[in-house]
Amino acid sequence: MKTRNFKRVMVWELPVRIFHWLNVLCIVVLTITGFLIANPPAILSSAEATNLHTFGIIRFIHFTAAYIFFFVMILRIYWAFVGNQFASWRAFWPFTKKNWNNFWHVLKIDIFLLNEEKHDVRDISIGHNSVATLSYLVMFFIALIQVFTGFALYADMSSWWLPKLFSWVIPLFGGDFMVRTIHHIAMWLFIFFSMIHVYLVFYHDYIEGRGEVSSMFGGFKFVDETRLKKAVEELDEEIKTD
Amino acid sequence: MANRIVVDPVTRIEGHLRIEAEIKDGKIVDAYSSSTMVRGIEQIVKGRDPRDVWAFVQRTCGVCTTVHALASVRAVEDALDIAIPANAEMVRNIMEGSLYMHDHVVHFYHLHALDWVDVVNCLKADPKKTSEIAQSISSWPKSSPGYFSDVQRRIQKFVESGQLGIFANGYWGHPQMKLPAEVNLLGVAHYLEALEWQKEIVKIHTIFGGKNPHPNYLVGGMACAINSESPGGLNAERLAMVGKLLKEGKQFVEQVYIPDLLAIASFYKDWGAIGKGFGNYMSYGDFPTNGYADLSSFKFPQGVILDRDLSKVHDVDHRNGDIEEFVNNSWYNYSDGDDKGKHPWDGETNINYSGPKPPYDFLNVEEKYSFIKTPRWKGLPMEVGPLARLLVGYGRGNKEIQDAVNGALTHLDVPVDALFSTLGRTAARGIETQLVANWTMGFYDTLMNNIKNGDERMANMNSWEPKTWPAEAKGVGFMEAPRGALAHWIRIKDGKTANYQQVVPSTWNASPRDPKGQRSAYESTLIGTPVADPELPLEIIRTIHSFDPCIACAVHLYDEHGNHISQVQNIASCER
Amino acid sequence: MSINNEQRKTYYESIIKNGYNRRDFMKFTTYMAAFMGLESTMVGQIAKSLENTPRLPVIWEHYQECTCCSESFIRSDHPIVADIILDRISLDYTLTLMAASGHQAEAAKQETMNKYKGEYILCVEGSIPLGDDGNYCCIAGKSAKESFLEAAEGAKAIIAWGSCASNGCIQAAKPNPTEATPIHKIVKNKPIIRVPGCPPIGEVMAGIIVHVVAFGRLPELDRLGRPKAFYAKRVHDSCYRRPYYDAGLFAETFDDHNAKEGYCLYKLGCKGPMTYNSCGTIKWNNGVSYPIQSGHGCIGCSEANFWDNGPFYERATKVPGLEEEGLADDIGKVAAGVLAGGLAVHAVAANISKRKELMSRIRRGKSNEKNIDS
Repeated sequence: MKTRNFKRVMVWELPVRIFHWLNVLCIVVLTITGFLIANPPAILSSAEATNLHTFGIIRFIHFTAAYIFFFVMILRIYWAFVGNQFASWRAFWPFTKKNWNNFWHVLKIDIFLLNEEKHDVRDISIGHNSVATLSYLVMFFIALIQVFTGFALYADMSSWWLPKLFSWVIPLFGGDFMVRTIHHIAMWLFIFFSMIHVYLVFYHDYIEGRGEVSSMFGGFKFVDETRLKKAVEELDEEIKTD
Repeated sequence: MANRIVVDPVTRIEGHLRIEAEIKDGKIVDAYSSSTMVRGIEQIVKGRDPRDVWAFVQRTCGVCTTVHALASVRAVEDALDIAIPANAEMVRNIMEGSLYMHDHVVHFYHLHALDWVDVVNCLKADPKKTSEIAQSISSWPKSSPGYFSDVQRRIQKFVESGQLGIFANGYWGHPQMKLPAEVNLLGVAHYLEALEWQKEIVKIHTIFGGKNPHPNYLVGGMACAINSESPGGLNAERLAMVGKLLKEGKQFVEQVYIPDLLAIASFYKDWGAIGKGFGNYMSYGDFPTNGYADLSSFKFPQGVILDRDLSKVHDVDHRNGDIEEFVNNSWYNYSDGDDKGKHPWDGETNINYSGPKPPYDFLNVEEKYSFIKTPRWKGLPMEVGPLARLLVGYGRGNKEIQDAVNGALTHLDVPVDALFSTLGRTAARGIETQLVANWTMGFYDTLMNNIKNGDERMANMNSWEPKTWPAEAKGVGFMEAPRGALAHWIRIKDGKTANYQQVVPSTWNASPRDPKGQRSAYESTLIGTPVADPELPLEIIRTIHSFDPCIACAVHLYDEHGNHISQVQNIASCER
Repeated sequence: MSINNEQRKTYYESIIKNGYNRRDFMKFTTYMAAFMGLESTMVGQIAKSLENTPRLPVIWEHYQECTCCSESFIRSDHPIVADIILDRISLDYTLTLMAASGHQAEAAKQETMNKYKGEYILCVEGSIPLGDDGNYCCIAGKSAKESFLEAAEGAKAIIAWGSCASNGCIQAAKPNPTEATPIHKIVKNKPIIRVPGCPPIGEVMAGIIVHVVAFGRLPELDRLGRPKAFYAKRVHDSCYRRPYYDAGLFAETFDDHNAKEGYCLYKLGCKGPMTYNSCGTIKWNNGVSYPIQSGHGCIGCSEANFWDNGPFYERATKVPGLEEEGLADDIGKVAAGVLAGGLAVHAVAANISKRKELMSRIRRGKSNEKNIDS
């Protein structure tokens, strides 16, 4: 019985991991505060309105998270040009032959759970697989929708030029009603995405056993030694850094 | 053959009304009344939340602007068996009472007066004499010679500009204009004053309903919470404003409107014999003082008078098959033939325009010729409006109404028969405005007393949630709009509006003929009217205006594929 | 009747009297022409028309409407409507107020259209039905569309009064049985001022007329064609109950303690946060109150499609295109549940389908565990 040798590969660089977890935080905070804003809970407080700013704080948190979400997005786009091959914008370009083959492979094996006659390690993606790439691309556009609709709704309350840049969105959709509706529905798409995303991360970790879950903490994934042109010996490296 | 003349558009009304009249030897021998606009509101409310429907149907008319909302919330409350708090009843009564005052004054001065008052002729008046006349009929303070000469100068300047604006092409100098120049000047001055006054009285709606036109209503009561101890709700300041506006409104009615009406009417007594019509009158009754269910507590009693016989008043029932609508002469189809009538709860409407293709000169009155359906009570045409209300009250032996009517007849020195006429309709409007103004002060006092006694409830929210409703329910909301008897019928199924129908005053009055060929009020009253110059339809619009037409509600639903649909419908007429 | 030009002030004269010079005046007209998308050669013509036209001629058409706009207009407190129609404009055609009926009324309109071609303002109240060849609204035997196109032809600018003319309003609510259409979809080559609201505030309507007459130019419009002076802010952002909103103090139902305290009506479906209008600032009927002040939420009457934007008394997001019950959160919850179920099924199926692979890996892992050396 042949056992594979795995090598630790730095897949997710530190900035990518920071972007990821900030995104998680923002999406969670934005969703919770978003729901609260859409349908505030009954606060039967007898306090004077002048002494309370509860809802204002909820909204403040929402807007702050929105700004962070937005700037993280900008930095992530920057990193797509300077980061490693897994962070590069090229990884998100779905229209290469390799990506298409991978796409069908992932659909067959991971989504429809067919089994392969013969395993090929090259079918296992080191960074994102092609289906995931596509879904992130879609999420990126939905995030853009949230940015455009969110800032458009916010623009009227702001005196800063940045949100004002988006004020043309309101008339485009004929008014706040439709913009708000789009903003609200797109939030649900984030929820659906998060559910599938988290599940598939666990799924890949469980089926492939390469440290998929932990990769977003430490940045490493385990890659079959045969896929590396030249493997650096683990032990030597660790001693050197000591 | 008789000469056919067309009046389209009839102006100074709400909506789009067209009259075609046949004239022979200087008199009208036949007439056809047609509404030429349709919107389809009943189809639009189908499937909506019954609590929202008042806002939709309120847009039936912006002139009477609260009546459809009120009829709608009453219909829903009737269906769901909701009793509203006493305060809400009073607030609704005050709003409706102030609407009567507003509506009737605006109708008299801005929609009707230019049929009787010669604006250009007022330039010939001696302001001093006008002042004397004004002071002899009323204690209204704005009556000095200087005041009238200022008005005259203003009109002079306006006329000399050559741009006559709304007065362009009016019927100035027509032989039927019979007022002396001095009374014309009085009329013009008060036209302008009433225009300024009317924006004040509506502020009562603004306080209770947030805006006017189209103030807000609420199923279960009213949204304007009372809180005598907080700036958050209706408190003493807000209510004092209502009191002041009511008082000023009553003053204007008593010191300007009524004296002017009587003064002008005294020059047109011949119109007490013109515009008689068929002589059936109907009132649903309104202004409840002990809940909508207690008909005996209504200030205006309900009833039907047939053939001008005031000694017998018949009861109206909205829930049996007495009231039916026909479409034999209207641009709609019924699934089981156009000759039978349908009760509004089971009504259906299916628009099918079959009139001439625009642009056209004449309608084909041998076939269907209007977007208004034809309602009948026990198969009979009914006239509705202020005159009908007063006659029913008179017949019911209501002392207050009898005294008011007798007083006006004595003042004008005309026989009782003169009531059944164009002049009678216009006079009845004034008489009832005075009555309603008094009642409204009473409603206000009741409201203040309730609050004094600690009752600050304004809405009954027990049946607000649709899950508390029965799976199916039906209700009727009837009332007396300023223009006459108005009712909405609703069917609720699974928390949604399954069927909605409006039968409004101008439907009764302005509708085309029924299958038996019986004319409705407009058509019937025009017959016999003398027309001095067929080119100038002054006499026609006098009689038509005496009804205060409101046509926008002539809006029925239809299915664009021309299929039968058994839902919503709305019979025409808008409250002015 | 001869026109006496000496006695009347033209726009030009009144502008000069108000301290502007001719250069300012020409600047106004240039701006206006640019705004109207006219060629520069026409600047002179506009300037000339403003200099020479006495009272501004106005034609006010009524199509599919309920007359609430006209009613609101006569509610204006400053200026009062008598001053507007006697001193500021010449309201030559309006079904609601004009003395003449029938042929005489149509003749008055025709005269203004001929005499003041290119100079008059066309006001439109109501939408225009395009269904069934326009048979659903006829005036004087002409369809509304025909009548509108005729009147728009020679108009200097068009004012779309109210939500009907601006957005279609009630008759354009689903299913829009008569194909009610707002006017900007019918005429494209004229400046159109949209003044939405059901109805618009009287003082706003009068204010727009005053703007045009007194300043001699059209008001500056936002991207939806609404005057910025009156539609730049949300009702919510100028609402006196805003502090309660920020505090999280809401009325839970009508006439409850919170409603009586005047707390925010957000949870009762108030559409103020999405509605651009002057209700919170100018208020209604000379500043007496506005819906929220009188305890009822805003229904959003100045927004497009407000009739179809979900129920009035709930804060609910409807999914566009879906009829009843199409609430985003309900659909979202169901979809999330279905999705979670699907993922669970997928997880079970994965264990079954990939069992060989998993078992073999577990076997290897276990034997490696046994072989742990140190």
